[in-house]
Amino acid sequence: MRTEAIPVHAVPLTAAQAETMAQLRIKKHHVAIMLLHWFNASVWLLELLTGLALISSHYFRVVPLWYVSIAEGAFGGRANMLHFHVALGLTWIVVFLVYGTFGFRTYLGEVLHKEIALDRDDFRWLIVRTLRILGRSNEPLPPQGSYNAGQKLFAFMIYAMIPVVMVSGVVMAFQLFGPAVVGWAIVAHFAAVGAVVSGLMVHVYMGAVFPEEKSAFFSMITGTVDELYAYSHHFKWWREVKLAQAEWEQRHDRGRLVPTEPAAAAPIAGNSDPEGGQEQTPGP
Amino acid sequence: MSRYAMVTDLRKCVGCEACTVACNAEWSVPAGFARTHVRKTEIAGTFPNLTSGIHVAQCNQCDRPPCAEACPSGATSQGADGIVRVDKDLCIGCAFCVAACPYDARYINPATKKVDKCDFCLPRIARGEQPVCVTTCTAHAKYFGDLEDRGSEVFRLVYAEGARRIETASVAVGPNVYYLGKPESLALVATSFPPRAPRLPAAGEAWRMAVRPLVMLAVGATFLGQAVAFFTQLAKGENDFED
Amino acid sequence: MTGFSRRRFLGTAAAAGASAAATTAPAVSAHPPGWHGGERVLKVATHCEMCFWRCGVLASVSEGKVVRLEGNPDHPLTQGRLCARGNAGTGLLYDPDRLKFPLLRTGKRGEGQFKRATWDEALDFLALKLDAIKKEHGPEAVAFFPHGIGSRFFGTLMKAYGTPNSAEPSFAQCRGPRDVGYSLTFGQGLGSPEPVDLEESKLIVLIGSHLGENVFTSQITAFATGLSRGAKLIAVDPRFSTAAAKADWWLPIRPGTDIALLLAWMNVLIAERLYDQPYVAKNAQGFEQLAAHVRDFTPEWAETITELPAAQIRETARAMGQAKPAVVVHPGRHVTWYGDDTQRARAMAILTALLGSWGRKGGIFLPTPLAPGGIELPDFPESERGRADGAGGRFPLASEELGVTNGLVDATLSGDPYPIKAWIVYGQNVIESIPQPKRTLEAIEKLDLMVVVDVLPVDQIDYADVVLPEATYLERYDSPLFVGSAKRPFVAIRQPVIEPLYESKPGWWIAKQLAKRLGLEGFFPWDTPDQHLAALVEPLGINTLELHNRGAIAFPGRPYIEDRSPDDEPLFNTTSGKIQLFSKELKDLGADPLPRYTNVTDPPKGFLRLIYGRAPVHSFARTENNEALHALMPENEAWIHTRTAAELQVHDGDRVPFENDEGARSLPVRVKVTEGIRRDCVYLVHGFGQRSKGLRRASGKGASDTSLMSRVKVDPLMGGTGMRVNFVRPVKA
Repeated sequence: MRTEAIPVHAVPLTAAQAETMAQLRIKKHHVAIMLLHWFNASVWLLELLTGLALISSHYFRVVPLWYVSIAEGAFGGRANMLHFHVALGLTWIVVFLVYGTFGFRTYLGEVLHKEIALDRDDFRWLIVRTLRILGRSNEPLPPQGSYNAGQKLFAFMIYAMIPVVMVSGVVMAFQLFGPAVVGWAIVAHFAAVGAVVSGLMVHVYMGAVFPEEKSAFFSMITGTVDELYAYSHHFKWWREVKLAQAEWEQRHDRGRLVPTEPAAAAPIAGNSDPEGGQEQTPGP
Repeated sequence: MSRYAMVTDLRKCVGCEACTVACNAEWSVPAGFARTHVRKTEIAGTFPNLTSGIHVAQCNQCDRPPCAEACPSGATSQGADGIVRVDKDLCIGCAFCVAACPYDARYINPATKKVDKCDFCLPRIARGEQPVCVTTCTAHAKYFGDLEDRGSEVFRLVYAEGARRIETASVAVGPNVYYLGKPESLALVATSFPPRAPRLPAAGEAWRMAVRPLVMLAVGATFLGQAVAFFTQLAKGENDFED
Repeated sequence: MTGFSRRRFLGTAAAAGASAAATTAPAVSAHPPGWHGGERVLKVATHCEMCFWRCGVLASVSEGKVVRLEGNPDHPLTQGRLCARGNAGTGLLYDPDRLKFPLLRTGKRGEGQFKRATWDEALDFLALKLDAIKKEHGPEAVAFFPHGIGSRFFGTLMKAYGTPNSAEPSFAQCRGPRDVGYSLTFGQGLGSPEPVDLEESKLIVLIGSHLGENVFTSQITAFATGLSRGAKLIAVDPRFSTAAAKADWWLPIRPGTDIALLLAWMNVLIAERLYDQPYVAKNAQGFEQLAAHVRDFTPEWAETITELPAAQIRETARAMGQAKPAVVVHPGRHVTWYGDDTQRARAMAILTALLGSWGRKGGIFLPTPLAPGGIELPDFPESERGRADGAGGRFPLASEELGVTNGLVDATLSGDPYPIKAWIVYGQNVIESIPQPKRTLEAIEKLDLMVVVDVLPVDQIDYADVVLPEATYLERYDSPLFVGSAKRPFVAIRQPVIEPLYESKPGWWIAKQLAKRLGLEGFFPWDTPDQHLAALVEPLGINTLELHNRGAIAFPGRPYIEDRSPDDEPLFNTTSGKIQLFSKELKDLGADPLPRYTNVTDPPKGFLRLIYGRAPVHSFARTENNEALHALMPENEAWIHTRTAAELQVHDGDRVPFENDEGARSLPVRVKVTEGIRRDCVYLVHGFGQRSKGLRRASGKGASDTSLMSRVKVDPLMGGTGMRVNFVRPVKA
């Protein structure tokens, strides 16, 4: 697609356009990201299930006693359960550190800069989305990047809380720095996990239950989303991808006659840059 | 089922601290710490009408142990025999139990970084032996046995001779170490070394009073929010896919 | 227990070190690994030497390391009980500050500068010196200061060498007066353990004894048993001791006036005919003289002297009269107080006789002597010049077996009757055990040779020329112990639990090696400890293997008079064959044949009388460096009465040095302000205020009572140094 055919804003699509776009896929997630996501999900689930059962004092417990009993039984005793919890936690930390060290530039550098930084659209999105949920507005949502503002907030929260969980977990596992510090580590661990669980509930709901995001859920398995989803929900990212595609095509499209194919190249209505005239690609 | 208990006859005890040293040696308690303590009261009264007393204290394996309540990981638990055990595999060294014990019977071992306390020499009594404090006591002042055994010495001392617990009106957790003593002297001991109210360290209080309720609130609210959203979504139908 | 992993000791140490590491690793289970954890643990029976009660001990050894000391349940006297010090014995064994190899002085005497020597070097040097002294000054110029069972081998050596000058502090600084006093009365001393039948007693009288803070395992058991069976207790003590807290009567007597109290008690017992008339009529001699003597010593008379209410004196006398003969008038142990101590012991013995409690159940029971075997030895050389310590001479009743330590100090200082040129000190710290330490140090300065055989680098080694490291009681064989003064007399073994650590050696080896070099090996005609042991115990019908396994073997005792038959030794080994209430021997010596109260000197204004005693977790000055015991009591405190403290302007918790009225000064000590002591006294536990740099834990902690004892009152009869005659006050900042 030619660059000028890529809209600047998310204009309404025709049914035909929508159907076409629904068939096309864009790659959203690297394999590494997907593996890591599901690794995290399963590890954190197991840690949560065992961790909850490890709190037995009625001052601090948040699950019923029968749950604790079942969990203890499943592991053949509390000590085994604790060993499992610690071993798994430490394993996760090691994997994370390896990933973080070696994959930082490739996978995390970009992500941190571009994909989860909040911009003006994001802040407006947050406000508009809230008002829409409350039924107080029908304003369309501002365009979002690769991740919407809600997802970005979730990411921030995870990035903030998970190191707390890790460090406090290590402090507890090795009784570091004395009883007072260990005591606070337990509290920090619990609080951070609590925050993560709250966020996860939204995340899981949004990903797995909320129908609009069905595409997103499967993207964590296939690595791709369909273009229509991308266009509707993550326009700015869709646009970036398209621009990059177009640029790639142009760079690789040399020594070849560019056919005039009106249908596929039909410009999308409303493709006018409000600040200037149409861009013209130079002819052959 | 049994309820192990100890009776210390303070009329016989001379405060020689053989028990402390024997216990420390038997269980590798580092110098400066102890599972059992011998404390002398101040000398009360005016010369020459004076009273004093000796208090021999250790974990009381209480009927209602505050330490077990306070332990977040369940390392501290009470067995069917009444003995409060510490599972060192589960102990994370947070010392909540140390603050919770009204008798200050626990300590954190700086070598292992885990909590330690008297357990009535569990491995020894499992072999049919007596605790070392009892066997070494130079005054034969300590007795150990099962209060549920009507033929035992401790049963007789508690129920027939009136060995008493050291409790207060506000802290009555049912300690299973009983004392015999000259009335004045024993009263002085009880007032000099009363149990204190169980507490939690700052972290534990913060957890119990603030963090746990907050987290439950947050998770609960989120869950409710999600539930509402879910039901709304069901009501609206699935193809709400316009944008 | 940890921290002993020093080099030089290969093999066993490596294993021991690994085991030590294992025992300090985080314990996953309740047991230290290698302890009850199913590993083979060897138990060796021996007896303790943390104090001088010598309780039976079972030592557990795992991988070459002593991991636990417990009481030996099979021991006839202590029956499995072991006090704080006994349980802490591994702290001595593994004390990193222990003497490890022989030392030879390099700097000036007192500087504590040494070079390390081999045993050959040290023993050769020593033998050379001893030969030279013998040639130049005669063998009597060597004075021997032993203490403890391990000294026996050195005792033999010294006798073989030819010196009669041997003196233990246990006589003139401790029990001497009572053994002399009771000997004069009953024909025998009391020995150790003293034969007090506390468990059967109906009334226990403690005069100055603070049993309970003074801990002897089996005596505490007997004491507690007696009390639990309903025995009443009278505690005569200027301080509210642990015993006083248990007592039915606490008599806070004016210090030094005990004889007045005793005489008043006798007065009441006789006047009210409460004494055991048949017993006295049958067994005692001199009653008329006694009755006449005490007629005027009424409780009212005693009240003005003792500051005890007459009614209380009368009441307690009547209680004794009612409880007789099952009354223990405890003879005490350390009784060298005011210089009239033999007379006070006589008074206690007389009181005992009046109550009919000597040889009776619940009173003082009779020892059943055990005759040890012996080793054929050549005759010891006779000394022409005789002893220098005054025993049998200027101290007519002093024991020539046990000697007068201060007499030896005097002789060394004065050169009278002849110069003393060498001291060999075994198992005692002369600077702490003998009062007037300044004189002791002056005497040492005059010596050509000062030898110390010890386990720890105590204060005196700074003044020694040769320091020989002995193995601890857990690492050595000592002469077997024969105890007749128990209700079941017994023989006990001391055998090594592990091989000696570092280069320490058992006393028998050191003595033998020295003997060889001095040409005296004929006096040690045995090669191994087992030979020595067999020679001593087999004549009693003891199987040495059984003794090795069990630790002690008991014999039937005949503790009461009714157990005795006419074929036994006479009940009273006196010249008259009866209890001598009136002592002709004393009369012949020009002393009071019946005890009299002599005026005690009160402290000068502003000063307090220094009294001292023991703590249950320490033994004299030998345990303050022990890790476990130090943790329980790192320092002593000066007990001062509330009002006195206010007058002297000191407060509870202040740390002040004390000075006496002759200018002697102690290290700073923590003040304990209390109601539990008379206003005219200050009390310190003995054994603190040590200055040896080598004892890292003990050094500089608390104050030494000995350092404040510049004055003594010597008992003219037996040379005992009365020490409670020093007056001190806190030093104002």
